[in-house]
Amino acid sequence: MKSVPRQPDSALPSISPNPVASMPTVRVDAQDGFRKVILRLVKGEAERRAIDAGQVDAILDPASGSAILLPQAQRALLDRKVGLRNLLGLAFDAHWEQDEQHRFVSYDGTKEAGQRLAADHPIGAFLWDLPTDNMSAEDWRTHRQQLTWRTPFRDLELHRHDANGAQRQFALSGEPVFDEQGQFKGYRGVTREITGHRQVESLLAQPRSHAHVTLDVLPNPVAMLDAAGTVLLTNRAWRALASTQDGIGAGVFEGASYLAACDEMQGAQRIDALALGAGIRQVLAGARERFDYDVDLATPAGRRWLVHSVSAVASDGAERAVVSLQDITEYKCALGLLELDLTVAHALAQDAGAAVAIPALIGAVCQSQGWDCGRHFSLDASTGLLCAGPSWGVPGTAVEQFLQASHAMVVRPGAGLAGRAYASGQPLWVIDGISAPAVSASALAAETGRGGAFVFPVTADGKVTGVLAFSGKGVCAPDGRMLQAVQSIGCQLGRYLQQQAALAALRQSEQRFRQLAELGSDWTWELDRQSRLTQLTGSHPFGTGDLLGKTLSEMANLVLDEAKWEAHLAQLQAHWSFCDVEFGVRHEDGRLGRYCISGAPLFDAAGVFVGYCGTGLDITERWPAESSVSHESNGELAS
Amino acid sequence: MMRRKKIAPKASGPAGDRQLEMILYVAEGGPNSVQAVANLEAICAQHLKGNYHLEIIDVLQCPQRALADGVLVTPSLAKLFPSPAAKVVGNLSDTGSVLRALGIAGTAA
Repeated sequence: MKSVPRQPDSALPSISPNPVASMPTVRVDAQDGFRKVILRLVKGEAERRAIDAGQVDAILDPASGSAILLPQAQRALLDRKVGLRNLLGLAFDAHWEQDEQHRFVSYDGTKEAGQRLAADHPIGAFLWDLPTDNMSAEDWRTHRQQLTWRTPFRDLELHRHDANGAQRQFALSGEPVFDEQGQFKGYRGVTREITGHRQVESLLAQPRSHAHVTLDVLPNPVAMLDAAGTVLLTNRAWRALASTQDGIGAGVFEGASYLAACDEMQGAQRIDALALGAGIRQVLAGARERFDYDVDLATPAGRRWLVHSVSAVASDGAERAVVSLQDITEYKCALGLLELDLTVAHALAQDAGAAVAIPALIGAVCQSQGWDCGRHFSLDASTGLLCAGPSWGVPGTAVEQFLQASHAMVVRPGAGLAGRAYASGQPLWVIDGISAPAVSASALAAETGRGGAFVFPVTADGKVTGVLAFSGKGVCAPDGRMLQAVQSIGCQLGRYLQQQAALAALRQSEQRFRQLAELGSDWTWELDRQSRLTQLTGSHPFGTGDLLGKTLSEMANLVLDEAKWEAHLAQLQAHWSFCDVEFGVRHEDGRLGRYCISGAPLFDAAGVFVGYCGTGLDITERWPAESSVSHESNGELAS
Repeated sequence: MMRRKKIAPKASGPAGDRQLEMILYVAEGGPNSVQAVANLEAICAQHLKGNYHLEIIDVLQCPQRALADGVLVTPSLAKLFPSPAAKVVGNLSDTGSVLRALGIAGTAA
């Protein structure tokens, strides 16, 4: 409840329902009678002239000691009072009067809103009899004390619910009324409905509230710093982080200095804290608009990455900075696994053989995950056992000893960690006593080495062909993404080994074929699409020099049967196989050698012709016999 | 209730000089009274430059005061100082009469 010093009399105009009732006037009904009264009272010439000119408002009656208001002035005064009431109605919602006992004797609402407070017919009632929501007994006692002291009151705020259940606020102002003898006659005052004002004030107060609410729903920790680095504003996520985490920002709430916390940081995160503080200072100084800094945290639950983003903002005309934190652990892990996948693929793509590729793969996995060492176990088909193969380990005596001890290790499928992973086809892990279901960590201590172990199968075409077993202190329980990654790695290695095996078989087959070909011919050859030599091995008759790139017809000292050669070229163009195409070579000593070649066309996987391959045979010694037989045959055929 | 209006002398006036003293009797709210106040304000502003003292009395509130001063109708303007005393009745729309009564003759606009 408010009270203010008494206002000047002119501040609240008279609101009497009968504005002329309280004035000392003489009511004159007839115009003639009125003029007689005037002439009786006014004797002076100047006064009479003024009256005749209509320039007089009132005449004083010495007999009664009162003023007589002339009709024109009366009308004007009434009009003025009505006008004032209308103005009052524009300024206020209602006006009222109370008697000496503070009971309402009038309550005139000029607007619907003003009537709402008087909905209970307040005439004859006390103000404190009206139902209100906000006034306590103590409040009313204070107000009534003011009335007892006859002091004006201003903006007494009353809250009540209207007929529709909506709460409305009203402000009442009143002043005491005294008669000519100074006798207290009651109070008069006005009522304003201030519901709209309060709603506007509430709306005006909302921006800050909106900011808080908006910040609080953000999942990432956010804080606003002033130019000195003091925290002005935080959201719920920030407060939760500051109250639970160790390291940068721990315990830094609103009012604390974030920069001081960075400067005073000790331990493993000191370098990060100093770098972050320097970046924040640059942003606050306007040297940069934004500063991002990744912090790598080692927590009991594993590594976490938090990126601190500092952005400059201008608020209330002052430079400020908004610090937001984002946990990018999942992103970092996913990125690391993607990089690992690429590294594995790169290692396997090198044409260096399994003895090099597998240790490279194991090394990439260990370095990516922080593991100490890894081994590859593959199934020996002849014995049905898993045999330890290529391995990789970080430098260190303990790791080297562990790998050395397991160098010739043989594991039966279903036994041990590697054997169980092989038999089940599922990844298994042991982490300092915590293990995958059905795995005893203590029983496998000798196999896993120091810390934990993580074993996952190597597969090809859906079949398990071996396992990769990793050991080290950095082994932790894999999440879904990690399990997906090791499955991919196991498949890549399985396919690689399958390809390597197929390639080895192909090489062996090719080797056998070559050996057989060499036994039945003197040389082998290969041609490209243009029938140019690309390979020539064995005892060929073409001498020395740069022969590759030449066609057979470009060879020196070649003796050809034109008709036969034309037929042979037609075969080549048609990509047909040919057999025993004969030709002669005049050697340097003048001897004529006789030779024959056989060949078959080569096609790629798409069926496109890529050249020829074939063999050559020296038939010089048998040629005369074959020639005579041929001539005889030809003769027989001719006869 | 009496209504008084006092205007402090300007620094340009002679030190120790008494100001022109007047009383305007009105019936507050009456049309002629309102007109008289406005006319007198204009005359004072133009001719007296603030070097005057004016008291306005509402006879509806203080009829006895008016009767004691011998005033029978309002609006009436009474010049009290300097001598001679003078009185003007009406809404003071005749500026020349007012100036003559106030002793500022010959300066009528």
